[in-house]
Amino acid sequence: MSALSNIRFLLQHAIRVELRNRHGIAGLLVFAVAAVYTCYQATGTHAEQESWNALAWVVLLFAGFNAVSKPWADDDEGVRAFLVHTVRPQDWLIARTLYYMLLLGTVSTVTFAAFLLFLGMDHLSGWTAVHYYTGVLLTSTALASLLAMIQALASRAGGGFSLIAVLGLPLIIPVILVSTRYGSDLMRGIAFGDTAHHLLFLATLSAGFSALGYILFPYLWRD
Amino acid sequence: MIQRSWKIGGIALLAYVFWTTFTVPLGPGLLELRNLERAAVVDGLDRKVSAYELIGLGTHWSSRPDDLSVVLRKKENLTALPVVEVIDDTHAVIGLTLHDAVPSRSWDVLINHPVDGTLFLQNGLFLDGVSVDETATLPALALTEFPSDLPHHFPFQPRIFETIRNLMLHVPMWFTMFLLMGIAFVASIRQLSQTAGGSSLFDLRAEASVQVGMVFGVLGLLTGSLWARYTWGAWWVDDPQLNGALVTVLVYAGYLILRGSVEEERLKARLSAVYNLFAFVILMILLMVLPRFTESLHPGKGGNPGFNSYDLDSSLRAVFYPAVLGWMLLGTWMYRIRLQATHLNQKLHRLNDQ
Repeated sequence: MSALSNIRFLLQHAIRVELRNRHGIAGLLVFAVAAVYTCYQATGTHAEQESWNALAWVVLLFAGFNAVSKPWADDDEGVRAFLVHTVRPQDWLIARTLYYMLLLGTVSTVTFAAFLLFLGMDHLSGWTAVHYYTGVLLTSTALASLLAMIQALASRAGGGFSLIAVLGLPLIIPVILVSTRYGSDLMRGIAFGDTAHHLLFLATLSAGFSALGYILFPYLWRD
Repeated sequence: MIQRSWKIGGIALLAYVFWTTFTVPLGPGLLELRNLERAAVVDGLDRKVSAYELIGLGTHWSSRPDDLSVVLRKKENLTALPVVEVIDDTHAVIGLTLHDAVPSRSWDVLINHPVDGTLFLQNGLFLDGVSVDETATLPALALTEFPSDLPHHFPFQPRIFETIRNLMLHVPMWFTMFLLMGIAFVASIRQLSQTAGGSSLFDLRAEASVQVGMVFGVLGLLTGSLWARYTWGAWWVDDPQLNGALVTVLVYAGYLILRGSVEEERLKARLSAVYNLFAFVILMILLMVLPRFTESLHPGKGGNPGFNSYDLDSSLRAVFYPAVLGWMLLGTWMYRIRLQATHLNQKLHRLNDQ
């Protein structure tokens, strides 16, 4: 099988496993919406610009971490022992990253929609909301490309959620710094063209994390 | 003998560094040119003839007060101001007499004195209530300029003042941390590149150097925070350089926690080597690459994170370079002791198991 069809197969398999057991994804979405609703209870519909932005990114970040910390079906030792001999580790990492991109993209889209619904669109209107959403999607891409690797590492170490947080959160700080700055720029009415370099920076970080993962994952994977 | 000489050399360098860091005096500088106009009005003085108080730090004006001269400068325009009275070493009263129209409102203030040499206060004077005429000229200047006659001293920097000594403590911490994390990086590469069934010898090296590197990283954060409290007024500010430093230390803390959570020795060696390579690349990006693209309050940053040649004069260099070398030697020494301790611990465990 070629690399491409391997990746497609692994991705399809992951999605199928996810959809077969819908409690997992439903749990994530309920977590995200409940978090947004808590923010709504605390601030009401007219949150200040800065707190709107801060709350949005904190909820997005933790919804993302929550999504990734779910045990991955293929991390079972038996499945891993089988996959080690059948697919290239890089293909497996790519499939894993793509899957996380889809998962985090879904979770952050729902979270963002809930945010707009509950906390109002006072600070975002028309194209600004679209630009903000682009930032949200690119942030979840960066999170996915980093956490795919970190999740594999943590599950190999047998550390669970706290280890993912300890290993992943410091590395995520640069991403969140860029995202929050981008969001607050948009909300303060700075033209998209003048703050778009933040998006480029997010894309660069994603590419960097992916490249590092691509080089290092085989060492993590083999016995 | 060679074994010992570099350790002795390191200690000697650090002794020299600590001695000079805290004993070399700070050079003189100008703090402020303060308007005394209100007092002058009470005395019935003309509005355009006002008095200013010149305040210095570490200056020596009361020795040879007659040779103190004060000059205003705006581009090519230079004009001398009369010194009314030298109060003490650091305070003097200056009279100001200007024509109705002046070429500019804001002026740089320069003073010259036989002991202090020429000192400079950028935009030290701002004139209110005068009309500006760019073509206006001022009387030409004729004065004798004295070179400075000071003992060996550290340069005066506005707002930084005595805290310039922190250069010898704070910056070498990060250089030493880079060196130790670099040792850990190389050890991790060698750990991963050895054939299957290899020992975890390199892994122990990486662990020891990260442990010692963390000590230097934390000391770097503490010395930086203390300095920031005095110069920026806050223990911590939101700045790219500071964020990068904090993230780096947190990432390496994650490395040590990861080591603690894996039991099996071979797996621990591999996983922590992978994470360490990740961490070092992130360190390079955050502390060496990113600060070049962002603006930062941190000295020497804002485009160029290397040390700025304008800020570092020969008196600082004479202490700074030995400081870097001395701290690096001390760090290497600490790393070797730590590594020996780890080896002995391992041996002890094996003996206990038997």
